[in-house]
Amino acid sequence: MKISSFVKCSLVGIVLMSSCTKLDETELLYDRASNLNFGVTDAEVVSLLAAAYTNLYGSFGGDGSIMRVEEVPTDEIVVPTRGPDWGDGGHWVRLKLHTYLPNDAGPENTWNFLFKGVNSCNRVLSILEPIGTPASLKFISEIKALRAIYYYWLVDLFGNVPISTDFAKTDPPPNNTRKEVYDFIEKELLEVLPDLQKTGPNDNETYGRVNYYTAQAVLAKLYLNAEIFSGTAQWDKAIAACDDIINSGKFALTANYSDNFKKDNKGSTEFIWVIPYDEVQATGFSLPHMTLHMESQETYKMGGQPWNGWASVQEFYNSYIDPAQNPGPQGTVVGLDPKGTPIQGTTDKRLSNFLVGPQLKSDGATPLTDGAADVTDPDGPQIHFTPYVNELQPGAWRQSGARIGKWEFYKGMTGQLSNDLALFRYADILLTKAEAQARKANNWNDPAALALVNQIRTVHGGVTPYSTMTATSFLGERGREMFFESTRRQDQIRFGTYNAAFRFHPADADTHVNIFPIPASQLNANKNLKQNPGY
Amino acid sequence: MHHYLLRGSRYVLILAIGLLVNNKLSAQISIKGTVTDNNNQPFPGVSVIVKETANGTTTDATGAYSITVPNKNAVLVFSFVGYPSQEIAVGAKTEISLSLSPSVGQLNEVVVVGYGTQKRKEVTSAVATVNAEQFNKGNISDVAQLLQGKVAGLSISKPGGNPNGGFTIRLRGLSTLGANASPLIVVDGQVGADLNTIDPNDIQSIDVLKDAGSAAIYGTRGSSGVIIVTTKKGGRVSAVSYNGSVTTENPIKFTEHMTAAEYKAAGGRDLGAVTDWNKAITRNALSHIHNIAFSGGSGGGTTYTASVNYRNGQGVAIKTGFDQVNAHFGLTQRAMKDKLNFTLDVSTTRRSSQFGFDRAFQYATIFNPTAPLHTTDPALNYTGSGYVEQNFVEYANPLAVLEQNTNNGVNKRTNINASATYEIIRGLKFQVRYAQQNTTNNIGIYLPKTSFDTRLIGTNGAINGSGYTRKGLAQKQNDEGYTQLYENILSYDKKVTEKLNVSAVAGYSYQDFAYNGSVLQAGDFLTDVTSENFASASDFKNNRSFASSYKNGSKLVAFFGRLNLNYNDVAFISASLRREGSTQFGANNKWGMFPAVSAGVDLGKLADISFVNSLKLRGSYGVTGALPPNPYLSLFLYGPTGNNFLYNGVYIPAYEPTQNANPDLKWERKAEFDIGLDFSLFNSRLTGSLDYYNRQTSDLLFNANVPVPPNPTNRKWMNIGILENTGVELLLGYDVVKSKSFSWNTSINFSTFSIKLAKLNAELAGSYVGASNLGSPGQEQTEITRAVEGEKIGLLWGPVYRGINEYGHFLFDDGTGKTDTIGGYKTKIGNGLPTFELGWTNTFHYKNFDLNFFFRGSFGHDIVNTYRAFFESSQSTVIASYNVVNTKYFNPAIQSGQTFSSLYVEKGSFIKLDNATLGYDFNFKNGGAIKGLRAFVNGQNLFVITDYTGVDPEVRYSYGGNILAPGVDARDTWVRTRSFTLGVNLKF
Repeated sequence: MKISSFVKCSLVGIVLMSSCTKLDETELLYDRASNLNFGVTDAEVVSLLAAAYTNLYGSFGGDGSIMRVEEVPTDEIVVPTRGPDWGDGGHWVRLKLHTYLPNDAGPENTWNFLFKGVNSCNRVLSILEPIGTPASLKFISEIKALRAIYYYWLVDLFGNVPISTDFAKTDPPPNNTRKEVYDFIEKELLEVLPDLQKTGPNDNETYGRVNYYTAQAVLAKLYLNAEIFSGTAQWDKAIAACDDIINSGKFALTANYSDNFKKDNKGSTEFIWVIPYDEVQATGFSLPHMTLHMESQETYKMGGQPWNGWASVQEFYNSYIDPAQNPGPQGTVVGLDPKGTPIQGTTDKRLSNFLVGPQLKSDGATPLTDGAADVTDPDGPQIHFTPYVNELQPGAWRQSGARIGKWEFYKGMTGQLSNDLALFRYADILLTKAEAQARKANNWNDPAALALVNQIRTVHGGVTPYSTMTATSFLGERGREMFFESTRRQDQIRFGTYNAAFRFHPADADTHVNIFPIPASQLNANKNLKQNPGY
Repeated sequence: MHHYLLRGSRYVLILAIGLLVNNKLSAQISIKGTVTDNNNQPFPGVSVIVKETANGTTTDATGAYSITVPNKNAVLVFSFVGYPSQEIAVGAKTEISLSLSPSVGQLNEVVVVGYGTQKRKEVTSAVATVNAEQFNKGNISDVAQLLQGKVAGLSISKPGGNPNGGFTIRLRGLSTLGANASPLIVVDGQVGADLNTIDPNDIQSIDVLKDAGSAAIYGTRGSSGVIIVTTKKGGRVSAVSYNGSVTTENPIKFTEHMTAAEYKAAGGRDLGAVTDWNKAITRNALSHIHNIAFSGGSGGGTTYTASVNYRNGQGVAIKTGFDQVNAHFGLTQRAMKDKLNFTLDVSTTRRSSQFGFDRAFQYATIFNPTAPLHTTDPALNYTGSGYVEQNFVEYANPLAVLEQNTNNGVNKRTNINASATYEIIRGLKFQVRYAQQNTTNNIGIYLPKTSFDTRLIGTNGAINGSGYTRKGLAQKQNDEGYTQLYENILSYDKKVTEKLNVSAVAGYSYQDFAYNGSVLQAGDFLTDVTSENFASASDFKNNRSFASSYKNGSKLVAFFGRLNLNYNDVAFISASLRREGSTQFGANNKWGMFPAVSAGVDLGKLADISFVNSLKLRGSYGVTGALPPNPYLSLFLYGPTGNNFLYNGVYIPAYEPTQNANPDLKWERKAEFDIGLDFSLFNSRLTGSLDYYNRQTSDLLFNANVPVPPNPTNRKWMNIGILENTGVELLLGYDVVKSKSFSWNTSINFSTFSIKLAKLNAELAGSYVGASNLGSPGQEQTEITRAVEGEKIGLLWGPVYRGINEYGHFLFDDGTGKTDTIGGYKTKIGNGLPTFELGWTNTFHYKNFDLNFFFRGSFGHDIVNTYRAFFESSQSTVIASYNVVNTKYFNPAIQSGQTFSSLYVEKGSFIKLDNATLGYDFNFKNGGAIKGLRAFVNGQNLFVITDYTGVDPEVRYSYGGNILAPGVDARDTWVRTRSFTLGVNLKF
């Protein structure tokens, strides 16, 4: 085609034929699809719908992901500056100190990820709405629910975000209030609920997609935080949404807590909605890179070198082993001193959430050593992951911090896990109901609440049931169960501990830090947007 | 004074001829003679015509001609392409012999301009010419090197001594944000040609169109200036020449760092040995160049030139270098009584390169100086390779990096440029040109199974990793480029009246571009031996392989015209217009209009000043454009997200928007005003030109951040603002001594720069664009540059360093005049672009000796020394891992973590003795086998005066490809080198 047009234009160029002055670029498009030639076939439409989901894959489970702003500012995770590593212009430290800036990567990437999802949904809706077939209508409800979930994260993280529902509208939108966004999410989810499929975690068709129970779970979490989001508590609504899920009979606590996190965890009975990660097809869950020591590569025969960053801290780890906070069977556990010396403590089964103590090579016997270990680290060159973290910056020891071992690391992994990641899990719904019950009754020893919490303690933790409960001990239990599942920030805000002093975090002056600043790049580009208060 | 006489006599002469011809009062005279070239060799193919008539002939193989003229008042015009013509009145002579020389006086010098040539005296815009004699000599491997420092306002820079690294070329600083910042290249009339298809040895002259007045005829590609290359042409009697040289190149400046003893004393980990890693990975490199050129012609109107060029260059880093063969063939054929003229130029180049890995220099600086070259200690022999490796971030054994891994490429280029010109009637010519370029590129990388470094391959989207983690990792890359050019040009040249000469050009131009390529990456080899066979990579079976490919294209269509008026060689006017369209523009803005007008007057001819030979005042105004940097930037595009979606239990592809639409996307529009003065004084002993320019580039192209929502993705190519650029350029040449046995010429060029981001569009007003970050490891979010509305381009950005406190923690300006330890207040801390540049050439001739030395300097620019910003800390957790960069700024008291600040910004001003050549011309008798021999010795980069502590203070024009981030000395810069060359030029 090119040759012939060239020959034609060469021969007649003098005569100035109009075809030789035609400059339509889409004729020269070979390796990309444009809006003029894409989105036509069913498979193409589904691929666009797919993007509304896959947007999450890369943006939830990784180092630079939504998880970053959900986890690092809380008391369960730290990303310390380890000498020349993880300084990154100080933005990890600022997350921890709650001094995040509008141009920090955390808020910026998170905003982009979430609104990209919203836009994908709007785009898919603009394609589906004119079709009007029953199949397309079903998709419409599902995508509207997915959009509402993106807004659930937005209302949680940024609060006053613009509500954008029309793909064709191109004016830069102004902010809506957090209350308006909350109302929008509730309205949208309630509207689509009847059209969504009531399928369980073993249903192939909807696995990894939003169904009826996903929408109910989001409503439950929305109502749980309604007081924060909208100013008015909604305990009854939260309980009702939880009951709908609990009474469906489709879900149950797994006998083994860790079954929810192992490599082949597909279809776990606790999964309400997951990202179906796969190390080849659906990547983005890069936990091995984020948390493991460089030398751990040998232990797991990894296809890439870990980055030795993310870890938990001594107080959070201690909430598992301290008999006062977590009564239960006592045994030998890794201790809190700088060497991680074994001590007696509670042996909660959920200690599998951490990788601590001496590390071994892939043969399971030879100690793993670090020829480059910090000379001041009392462990010496043999690698011990210690819950003790010596400092936030600049010289955190390479081996310090309990590593996030919650999801099974397996030999030969690439650094991108194949384990599915639950975004909403049944245990969370039980704890949500328990909290709503207790708060509604204004009594942490409400029997229904206590029973739900103790169900989790005994089945998952193998620890002693609480005889009595306080807000603090409930939050402690929630923390142990839901460690690193992106609920801690919300929970700490609800319980008022987010702004208090905790490890590496002095108390905040005020609560404006409970939502993130709107990214500077967005304010630069959209003059209708106003920055959140306090930034 | 004598001008008046001359013009008067010419007037009478022409009048007389007219009378004689009209009255057919012919008393015919036979004239014969011989034309020789400047080497006193016969010059065949020279056209000899009787002025103002169609009567003419050409010289034969011995340079002889004979012609009959009407009478003794006739004037003979001797001309040859690329040579200024000579006019000789017949008078009483019957034999006229002369010598035609390409080295000409400044005023009659032929200047190649867009779609034509002019005499220097006729040029009304800012055009600089550099002839072969003025080119830089020595270890030249790139055409750009020939010009470095020779043209005021033309900056050419290549920090460090990478033999496979390219030069950055900037004309009058920066006049674009997102478009191509390098000048358009035109080779022998072929627009958009590739400098790499020509060997530097084959070039006759280079003209640089600096202002929009001259460049506007090239429309959408003229904004960054135009460099016009004219290659050597055939013509003389079978001439054969050989140019050969041998170069030795040595590293002379490494990044300063602690010795093994200093490192141990400062608390570094002692591994027991003493090793200088920079020495371990470098060598004294040896290179040689050979060029054989043949040229000749026949009396039948054929001339040819052919050359073969061989270059073999070693890099100063071990296992790096290149090997290149280039051949060029040029043919000119006249037919139909010289009315029809064909030209054909074909060149082909094959370059095979060993690129090595630039990161080796970074590792050589920071790798433990107490580590032995090789080890068998199992604690250090991490991969079993026998090299010491340790698991720190971005840390690997530099010797292993270069010795273990391969990174080789083959680049092939062919170029065909053919034209046919027919003279329809006298002065009216029609030309058709067809040209095509083919480029292919193959690069193969292999990291063997025991290779440790994980960052040697960085293909976007692939898993990457090290040879060790991937059990052997191979990557193959193939690229192909193909462009075609077709042009029709009608030109007309006519003396309309006695005093007025008119020349005009009109044309149509069509050009298309097509590119495609692919990358394959896979690992898990059983053995390194089969690394070239992907079938032996298990990754294909384990779904770990990576493949990508691309194909894209674009078209440019243009109509153009120019009119030049010359009034009596005193006043000159030129006007041009190009209307050009590109597929790369948005649907609503497919065609742009690019006008220019310029005028000049030779004041020297108007006023009779005794010491003035010529004094031309000229002014030009023109509009040029710049294309979006890639195709499809205006379109709404979808692409695969990279992740598949689980749908009914199977993974299916997911597509998402990858680019926002902008149907209004258009060219950058640069409007430029240039006023200049060209002078030749004191019997042309002092020559020069002075230019002032003012440019305004509007509709700047930039991939700007846009709000999400409403946009589907957060970047969009837009026309976003205005750049303002002013400067002064001065070129001065002076013949200090001019005698038969001794001469000394000195020349200086000087240029100033001031480039400001004057305005951003309403949606970005008060904002900034083009920020860049310091980079990995650990500083990926540390902004160090930005372009701010209302400020100069090239801003370095960060906290202001104010010292350290009693704990050794940094203190920074907090914006209120006090200090804090956070560094939250950021401001301007330097500018990466120079305020002025200088080149100073001195040429001496004494009998057969010649000596040339050349100083070059850039002044006023700042450089972020990233080696210091990353590796200056001797804090205990850092020195345990990395060796320390210990320049004069090193302060062991600092105990803070890495924090970028003005502490790492240094003054970059420098002056270099760039090039010095001593040559000797041997005398040979006429008629011998050898017609000429010249031998020379040359030194390059002989010394540098600078305060900069890094390896090379050259201006950095971009960082990580971001042209709005100049002034950052990247850690992959090679070391600075010095070279000495011994060469001969031999003529047979």
